[in-house]
Parts: sequence; structure tokens; C-alpha cells
Amino acid sequence: MAGLLGIATSGLSSIQQALSTAGHNIANVNTEGYSRQIAEFQTLPSQRMGGQYIGSGVEVGDIRRAYDSFVVDELRTRTSKLGFAASFESLSASLDKLAGDGDNGLSPALQGFFDAVQDVASDPGSLSARQILLADAQVLTDRFSQLSNSLSGFERETNSKIRSAVSEINGMVVNIAKLNSDITLALGNGGQPNDLLDQRDRLLAELSSKVGISTLKQSDGSINVFAGKGQSLVIGGESSQLVVTDNPLYPGRLEVGVTRAGGQVSIISDQLKDGALKGAIDFRTRVLDPAISELGRLALGITELFNAQHRLGVDLNGQLGGDFFSPISSVTIPSGSNIGTAAVSFTIDDVTQLEASDYRMLYNGSAWEITRTSDGSITSGAGPTFTLDGISISVAGAPVPGPSAGDNFLLRPVYGAAEQFGLKLSSAVQFAAGTPVLSDLAFTNSGSADINELRVNSTTGLPLAGPITLTYDSSAGGYTGGPTGTLAFNPATESGGKSFTLTGFGDLSFTLSGIPRDGDVITLEPGTGAPGDNRNALLLGAMQSERLLGGGSATFGESYSGMIGGIGVATRQARANLQAESSLMDNAIATRDSISGVNLEQEAAELVRLQQAYQAAAQLVAITDTLFQTLLGATRR
Amino acid sequence: MTISSAQIFRQGIGSILEHQEGLARTQLQISSGKRILNPSDDPSGAVKTLDIQEQISTANQHLRNDQFARTELYLAEGAMTGAQNVLQRVRELMIQANNDTQSESTRGGIATEVRARLDELVALANTRNASGDYLFAGYSLDSQPFSISAGSVTYNGDQGQRRIQVGPSSFIPISDPGVDVFQRIKTGNGVIAVDNNPANIGSGIVNSYSQKTNFVSDTYTLTFSKAGPSAPITYQVAGAVAGPVASGNYVSGETITFNGVSMVVEGVPADTDAFTINPSVNQDVFATLNNIIKALESPSTAAADNSRLHNEMNEGLNNLDRALDNFLRVRSNIGSRLNNLDSQSDVNENFLLRMKEAMSEVQDLDFAEAISNLKAQSVALEAAQKVFIEVQGLSLFDFL
Repeated sequence: MAGLLGIATSGLSSIQQALSTAGHNIANVNTEGYSRQIAEFQTLPSQRMGGQYIGSGVEVGDIRRAYDSFVVDELRTRTSKLGFAASFESLSASLDKLAGDGDNGLSPALQGFFDAVQDVASDPGSLSARQILLADAQVLTDRFSQLSNSLSGFERETNSKIRSAVSEINGMVVNIAKLNSDITLALGNGGQPNDLLDQRDRLLAELSSKVGISTLKQSDGSINVFAGKGQSLVIGGESSQLVVTDNPLYPGRLEVGVTRAGGQVSIISDQLKDGALKGAIDFRTRVLDPAISELGRLALGITELFNAQHRLGVDLNGQLGGDFFSPISSVTIPSGSNIGTAAVSFTIDDVTQLEASDYRMLYNGSAWEITRTSDGSITSGAGPTFTLDGISISVAGAPVPGPSAGDNFLLRPVYGAAEQFGLKLSSAVQFAAGTPVLSDLAFTNSGSADINELRVNSTTGLPLAGPITLTYDSSAGGYTGGPTGTLAFNPATESGGKSFTLTGFGDLSFTLSGIPRDGDVITLEPGTGAPGDNRNALLLGAMQSERLLGGGSATFGESYSGMIGGIGVATRQARANLQAESSLMDNAIATRDSISGVNLEQEAAELVRLQQAYQAAAQLVAITDTLFQTLLGATRR
Repeated sequence: MTISSAQIFRQGIGSILEHQEGLARTQLQISSGKRILNPSDDPSGAVKTLDIQEQISTANQHLRNDQFARTELYLAEGAMTGAQNVLQRVRELMIQANNDTQSESTRGGIATEVRARLDELVALANTRNASGDYLFAGYSLDSQPFSISAGSVTYNGDQGQRRIQVGPSSFIPISDPGVDVFQRIKTGNGVIAVDNNPANIGSGIVNSYSQKTNFVSDTYTLTFSKAGPSAPITYQVAGAVAGPVASGNYVSGETITFNGVSMVVEGVPADTDAFTINPSVNQDVFATLNNIIKALESPSTAAADNSRLHNEMNEGLNNLDRALDNFLRVRSNIGSRLNNLDSQSDVNENFLLRMKEAMSEVQDLDFAEAISNLKAQSVALEAAQKVFIEVQGLSLFDFL
């Protein structure tokens, strides 16, 4: 009888435990990272009575999680990739929105500026047209600085994202280490600390959304966590912290680092993989830097090329044109960790050949390696001078005491040029619409000599000291009186036109044609800035449609639209990547949930099953009671 | 496979959110009328939009320049028409004055009118445009190109020719320097000119002259001699460089030829009377008119005066015709520039139209498609919402 009651009560208590587990499952249906728990029944040891083994009831042997570590690992990997894709996409998409704002973009300002140049070319003497040109140049300047500010804003935003991600990571690794200790302790006491395990898994998932991690399960139940190339974050109950540090080459750029023994910080940004942190870092190098460089190249290109042509002109006061836009200076940044004494400097030789890129120069102990950051192509050599992509680099101070191996420098020909873009010309009168040399055919000429296509090509020898008088003399075989000697001209064969260049005198180029007679005179006079002279304004205006940048591959406008296109392509890729990762993530979640998730229907059915079992066990108690009463009644008399 | 309750919820709400996002996007597209909202929607389309936008603006600017050029050229054309009319009138007056029936005083009257025409011509040469710029001053638009002092006209402009850009590589000249229009005009027939020696006293008149391609450039003097009252009139031609080149007995109206030149002298030249035959030089139209006025105003008493007048009138007419030729050349240049402008503006307009079409193809939204998308998306959203409610409503607990 006692055995029967024991069996009944073991059933009742075991079923109660199972009901509690089902209830726990139902209660945690919406708990993030919760794994369904299963109470596993097992028989109590049977007793041998009368040569037979008689069962003695049931107990709950184990309450285990519905769990598959492989699936959870996969989920973690997907979380990292999704974290990367989401952070990259969100930054790209904001930049994309900025780029898509056509009314505030550079295009209308650029167009307005060149339209104004054309208007001055139409009416070069008009002061109002010149004032409008200055105003439109100011608009262009404002637009450049606005765009440049917006782009630097993204640099700052990336920095703050890195800062906050690192501080979140540091918080999480501490908690994971703590959970590791708790779990080890709980396991020592026997039984599965299911909810602690779930909590740790949830933290690991959160951590992996910030930074890609790899995990190693230990025999004591703790999990070691590593980021990047084996940088340990959690070892058992101990955690190490990431730090935010300045990039020694790029001013104002933050990187992720770790503190080594001895307090030295080393940067591990490049070693990181996946996660929101890497998404922000990669956005910077893959989307932001190219955009800033491209905008810088455009700013530098307009400044240098427009100025160069403007200097070949003459203003209303008869003065040679000065700088129209403020000159832009480029920088070389030595790494803060350099130990050698070499100094690297560079000059821009040809703006039209510039690439939209920075250059990293590294001394490897025997030679310099110059890496173009936009595509990673490397030029190497001993130096001390290098010429590439329209720039000349020179190294001073080498070889004695010379640079040390590992010393590096960052060369930025175009980066940041956009923020320096500015209007230099202050007075409308100073716009050099004219050309400082005027050709003149003497009235007394009796032949048909003519001069055409007169063009100034250099400021050397300008303004002309005085008129250059070319007198035709058939006995000398051409025009005499030129500063570079007789210009040979044979009217019999060259009356259709022959080109000349007067090197050293503005490098004037012109074409002489017609049949001159002896004594005919062509004069090249210094231009005095006649108000109707629009020759230089025409040349300046025509620059808009010339492919002057990227080695003759893009106009100013195309260079800008190329930058917009680059942002668009990057964002589109980021979005496609995000979509792919999202659906992979959904699959991973579904897989995990199919194993570990709570289904209310299932729990309801479980409740019904357990309820029936409980009723039956209770009935067993009643039957035991009845049996006992029967026995009592039989023996009462 | 077990599906967790949270998963069922997530799936339902996820599809609702997704449809909502699509719907919002379509709504934004419809309200802006644009297919591309951000460059990432269609990067190559976005680049194309910017590039086409630039092309459109540039073409518009070229059309604006075109209008400016047209205004200038019409003005210049008007001035040239006026100048031609002036010379035509002077020509008529000269033919009138060249008649022997005219007296000194009637010629004086004609001279007065020619003088008035000269002033008119100077005024035309100093024509200004709406902004007060001189048309014929070259680049020096702010200084009056022609000024009269002491009866002679000087040019104060320069020899610059303004051009304007009206097409990607089309630069049209919109001005001609005054020196080319009014001054750089050859005398005589354009190659040679005959001058009357002011000391001539005979009645020899140069009737006509011409030259062939074998003309040897030199200054020739045709001198007549008569040894005695009954001796025949002979002539001799000597070049300044070439020396004597022809001689013979003079017969009125008979052609004298030398070194490629043929000329006919009529009348009776006196002993030592001479004509010079020079290669043409440049002479401005104002000087030509002044010479004509001077000839008309000079006293006409002796017989010799009459033949001098005729010689000078003939030479004046020659010079005037060269000026007219030059005006015609300038006018037809202007006409051909206007033709260029017409065809260039056609090109620009066509280009603009094509670019706008291209722009609309790249950028504009297909409304029919967008609205049917909107319908489809809202139906899908509604369906997702219904499914969500249905699925969430199913629970075994309802039956417990």
C-alpha cells in the first residue's frame, strides 16, 4: 500500500515539475534567446519483492534545453554578417540621400558658374555680368564647402559609431565573463543552468552583431571568445577590453586597438571581420574616402586649371589675370610612430593626371613602397624621387641617418581640397576676360598677309615688353623682327597657313597665312584690357565641356556625377548585401526556432497530456485510499 | 518542422512591414514624379541624369548666346545696309556731277550733299548697341572708333574680332573691326590705280585700265610729249624700278599696253602731261569721299580743270566701287553668320529636345506602372494584415 502511494505521489510531483516546465515555456514565449525546456521523465529504481522487480514510480531525471550548438553557431555568424551589412548600409544610405539631393548638389552650382563665364564672354565689358560671375563663383565655393562639411560629418559619425560600438563590446565581454563563472559554478553543483546558458548565448549573439567573433567551448562549461585574428575578448571568467585610438597617419580618424603588455596600443581595425564595427570602418575606406578624394580632385582640378587659364588673360585694367580661386595646398603626413629622420614631400605637376586617391609610402628597410590607396597598386623603388599619377615625390634626409624600416607617410594630393576651395578674386574688374596680346595688320600692307589663331600659352615673358613687329622680307625668306629670329614663310607654298610659336614670349602661338608683299607688317601688341576682348573668357568657358580630369577621361561635371554614381553603386551593393543577409538571418532564426523555439500549441497539447496524467495519478491516490479503507473495514470488528 | 510562436508572429509582422515600405516608396515616387529618388535606386541612371542635366543647361546657354549674337549681327547688318545706301547715293551724285553741263556752283551743291553723306557714314561707323558698346571698335567697345579731326577720320579701335560660343565647338564672330569694314579698302580696281598728275594741262582723260596676271608690280609713269606745235604726241612709260617699258605715238582712244597693263587714254594730252600707275594701296572710305568732295569743290575755270575733274571723278568712282564691294563682303559675311546661327540653333533645339526625351526616359516615372504597383502593393498589404489576424487568432488554448 505504501508502495502504491509512493508511486502515486512520485507521479504527482514529477508531473507537477513537467507542468511547471511547460508553464515556464509558455511564460517565456516572447523571451529573446530563450530555449524551450523539456522535462525528461525516468523511472525510479524498482524494488525486488518476492522474486519480482516491482516499479516504484517516476522522477524528473533532467530538465534540458532544446538546443543545437551548431545551429546557434551558425546563427551567430549570420548575426555578425547582418550587423556588418546593416551598419554599412545605413551609413551608405545616409550618404546616398545626401548625394541624391540634386538641388543642393554641386551640379547646379557648377553649371551656374560656367553659364556666368559664358555670359561674361558674350558681354565682356559689362560689369553686372562680371558681378554675377563672382556671385556664382561664391555659390560654387559655398556648395563645395557644404558638401565637404557633410562628408566630414560622415567621418565624425563613423568615429562616434566606432566609439559606441567599442564601449558596448567592452560592456558585453565583462558580462559574458561573469556568466562564464556563474555557469561553471552552477555546473559544479549539478544540473543544467539552462537560463544562464540562454543568457550567455543571447549576449554572444549581441556581441557578434557588433563584431565578428569565434568561440571555443571549455570542459568546465565556460566559453572563450576571440575577435579578429585571435584577439581574446573573454577567457573563462576574465575579459579584456578594446580601446579606441587615433590613427597615427590619418588625423581625426579613430581606430580600434588593444592594449598590449607594457601599455602599448596596437591597432587591430584591419584584422576585424564582420559586425557593425567593421561595417563602419569599411564604409569609411570603401565609400567615404573615394567620395572625399573625388570631390577633392574636382576642387583641385577646377582651381588649378581655371587659375592657369585665368593667369593667361588680361583684366579690364590691363593687368595679367591672377588667381581666380584660392590656391589649394596638399599635405604629407608622417606617421606619429616614425623613428627615422626622412622627410617626404611632393608637388603636383599635372592636375589632369591626378587620381582620386591618397598614397601611403612605406620604407621596408631597403626600398620605398608607394601604395595608391584607391586600388592598392604598389610602386616601389629606392628613390629619392618618384613620379606617378601627375605628382612628383621626393624624399629628403635619406640615406644618412635615413628612414628606418617601417616608417611611413601619407600623401594626400586631393583629399581635403574641397574644403579649401575658395574664391580669391575680389573685384569684378579683375576677371581676365581678354588675352594680353593683340595682333594688328598694318594699314599700309599691300599684300594679303593675315594672322589667325593667336593664343597665349604661358605667362613667361608676359606682359610683352613692347610690340613685336614682324616685317615681311622676301630676301630673308620670311618675317623679320621677331624676338626669336626670322619666321620662315614661303608665300608660294604656305599661303594656306603656317603655325609658329614664340617661345619665351608668352609662348605665343599663331598661324600666318596669305601672300605678303615686302614691307608688309604684322604687329603683336601688348593687350591693354579692352572691354570687348572676350578671348580668354571663351577659353575659360569652354573648359566646362573639355575632358580635363583623370587623364582626359572626365569633364568637371562628369567627375562629380562619377562620384555620385560611385556612392549610388556602393549603396546599392550594400542594400543587396543587406537583403541577402537579412533573409539568411531569417533562415537561421527559423532553423534555431524550429529546434529551440516555443510553440504555444505544442505547450497546450503538453498541458492536456500532463493534466490527464496528473488526474490519473490523483485517481491512484484515491484508489489507494479505497483499498486502505476496505482493509480497515475488514479488520475493525 | 516546428515553428515557434514568436516566429509566426515575426513572419506576419515582417511581411506587413515589408509591404508598407514598398507602398511608401511607390507613394514617394508618385508624389515626386521621379523614378530615381536616390542614386542607389539606379546608379547609372543617376549619373546619366546629372550628365544630361549638364548637357541641357549648356545647350540652353548656347541658345542664350545665340540670341545675343543675333542682336549684335542684326545691328551690324542694319549699319552696313545704311552704309551701302550712303555710297549708292554718293555714286549717283558723282555721276550727276561728272556731267559737263554742271557748273561750279551746282557741283558745289552736290559737294555739300556728299559732305552730309560723309557725316552720315561716320555716324553709321560709330553705331552703338543697346548697352552703349560700339559695334565697329574691335575689342575697344567703349571708345568711339572713328573720330573726325581736320577733315580726316582716324580709327581709335583695335583689330579684334569678338566671337561667341553657340555650339559645343562652334564659335561665331559677332563683330568686325571698323578698320576692316571702312578702312582697309584697296584703291583703283583693286590691283592697280591710276593717278592724275595735278599739273596736267591737257584734256587727256583715262577712260579705262586693267591688268592681266602677268602684271609686273611697279610704279609706272605715263608721260606725253609733243616736240613742236605740229609734231605728233608721243608717249613713254617708265617704271620706277623697271625703267622704260613702252613708248609710241599717242592716238586718242587707242590701248596702251606695258608689263601686263592695258589702258586707254582719250582727249588731247599736253606736252609733259603725265599719269602714274601704281599698285593699289589701302585707302579708307572716308578719305575717298573727302577726295571726291575736294574734287567737286575745286575751281573749274580752265579747260584743264574739267579734264582733271573727270579723271578724279573716274578714280573716285573706282574707289567708291571698291568700298561698296567691301561693304557687300562684310554684309554677306554677316548674312552667312546669321545662317550659321540659324542652323546652329536648329541643332541646339533638336539636341535639347533629344536630351529632354532622354532625361525623361531615365528619370521620369511611368505613372501607369507606378499606380498599378501601388494597387498591387496595397492589396498585398491588406492580405498580409488579414493573414496575420487569422493566424494569430488560431490557438489551442481557445478550446481548453
